[in-house]
Amino acid sequence: MDRFMEVLENVLLPVADKLNNNRYLTALRNGFMVALPLIIFGSIFVVIANFPFLDRILSEEAYATYQNALGPASAATLSIMGLFVIIGIGYKMVEQRGGEAIYGGVVALGSFLILTPQVVDGVGGVIPTASLGAEGMFVGIITAFIAAELYQWFVRKNLTISMPEGVPSAVSRSFSSLIPVSITLTLFLALRVIFSFTGFETVQNFVYTLVQQPLTALGSGLPATLLAVLLIQIFWFFGLHGQIIVNSIFDPIWYALNDQNLSAFQAGEELPNIVTKQFIDTFLVGMGGTGMTLIVLVLIFFVAKSRQMRELAKLGGPSGIFNVNEPVIFGLPIVMNPLVLIPWLLAPVIVAAVTYFAMSVGFAPKPAGLIVPWTTPVLLSGYLATGNNIMGAVMQLINMGIVALVWFPFIKLLDKQYFGEEQNI
Amino acid sequence: MVNILLACSSGMSTSLLVTKMEAAAKEKGIEATIWAVAQDKAETDLKKADVLLIGPQMRFMKKKLEKFGNEQGVPVDVISPVDYGRINGAAVLEAALKLIEENK
Repeated sequence: MDRFMEVLENVLLPVADKLNNNRYLTALRNGFMVALPLIIFGSIFVVIANFPFLDRILSEEAYATYQNALGPASAATLSIMGLFVIIGIGYKMVEQRGGEAIYGGVVALGSFLILTPQVVDGVGGVIPTASLGAEGMFVGIITAFIAAELYQWFVRKNLTISMPEGVPSAVSRSFSSLIPVSITLTLFLALRVIFSFTGFETVQNFVYTLVQQPLTALGSGLPATLLAVLLIQIFWFFGLHGQIIVNSIFDPIWYALNDQNLSAFQAGEELPNIVTKQFIDTFLVGMGGTGMTLIVLVLIFFVAKSRQMRELAKLGGPSGIFNVNEPVIFGLPIVMNPLVLIPWLLAPVIVAAVTYFAMSVGFAPKPAGLIVPWTTPVLLSGYLATGNNIMGAVMQLINMGIVALVWFPFIKLLDKQYFGEEQNI
Repeated sequence: MVNILLACSSGMSTSLLVTKMEAAAKEKGIEATIWAVAQDKAETDLKKADVLLIGPQMRFMKKKLEKFGNEQGVPVDVISPVDYGRINGAAVLEAALKLIEENK
């Protein structure tokens, strides 16, 4: 067993290293981080605009006015999050290599806007917000990568205008990026023109149809979700941060699915997706940390006799409420502990399947598309993520019950072992 | 005066350790500045630190951060998983001080 674990760790560690340190994935992850404050700001206002019972207290007209007044808060942030992610990625791409990062941000944004259709229903001079949100997510990310790379390449090739001595450095700096930015944008303009002659008409449409739709269709299904969840659990079993590694690949898909739900939620339509960013964060990982260990601590508190385990429950409980659970992972420990491998892998799979099923038959509401910070305590997070729906919290309660059932025999076993060791000292 | 930097994915779980380490330092009468950061800030904060300790779940960052550490003359190591799980501030402080001592 030990030998097998060693071999597996030697495989996983380089994978984690590669994925975590990959230039593009790092920029992607940090790009989302840049957008996060705006995404959460928008989410808060979706919650406020949809406070429960308000629609019954206020007259229909007053309620509409109230919602309209708050609408721009999320419309200008959460719904068009692609814009901020693109700026973030462009910025981080250039920052990594020590260039003038802000030009990376604006050249990425400019390139993306050049590719974006500027007409809605025959009205020109407008940019459809859908292209800046869910639908434009993938084309935006790809554009940001390419635009930032091109910009840096032209800068490195020294395609800049050098100013004579005596020109203030700020002035010459503003010119130094002129040519790299201009050539990059021209290339994207050419791309737009080329695509206008194809059946796809726009690059947006091309990427959406050929890349985003197949990927999100795959990612929105249960098999891909279970795979992602299992990978996260396996990485953590070896004491490696699973989300950092797996999410950097799945986040674009999960965020795009999330944004589709948001548009539907705000239009009062049927929500299209079950698997979203929030499905993972709120109903799987965010129930007291990866592997949903908060309820395991509660279980320990009720059934364990061993001093060591009771200490752990006290130590890990407070942070577990906010979904930080490293004390459990390294303290129980879960890492490399064959005794807990079965519940560790099994519980999240069952919970994912049950939640998926419950949402597909309408027992529990689907995530409404807003982003709840991952440190939000369980029950509150389920309530908020489903757009102020108490059934979201009920679903979490059921899931915690499942986790407790799966873990119960193994906690008993572990407790017996620890308790015996403690008696022998 | 020692400066101890801790890093993990978002600086969340290492911050649990910060309070415990501060308490341990106070008990021993050591003047220490201890803080936790997310991985993307680790490089820039490295300049202000005497030692950098990485959460074990992010140990795959060690190679990259060690390179920066070598340039700055700051020792970099991974926190022991056992001490991390028990949030054993005293033991991690001990390890940090030892690394600083060896680096002198």
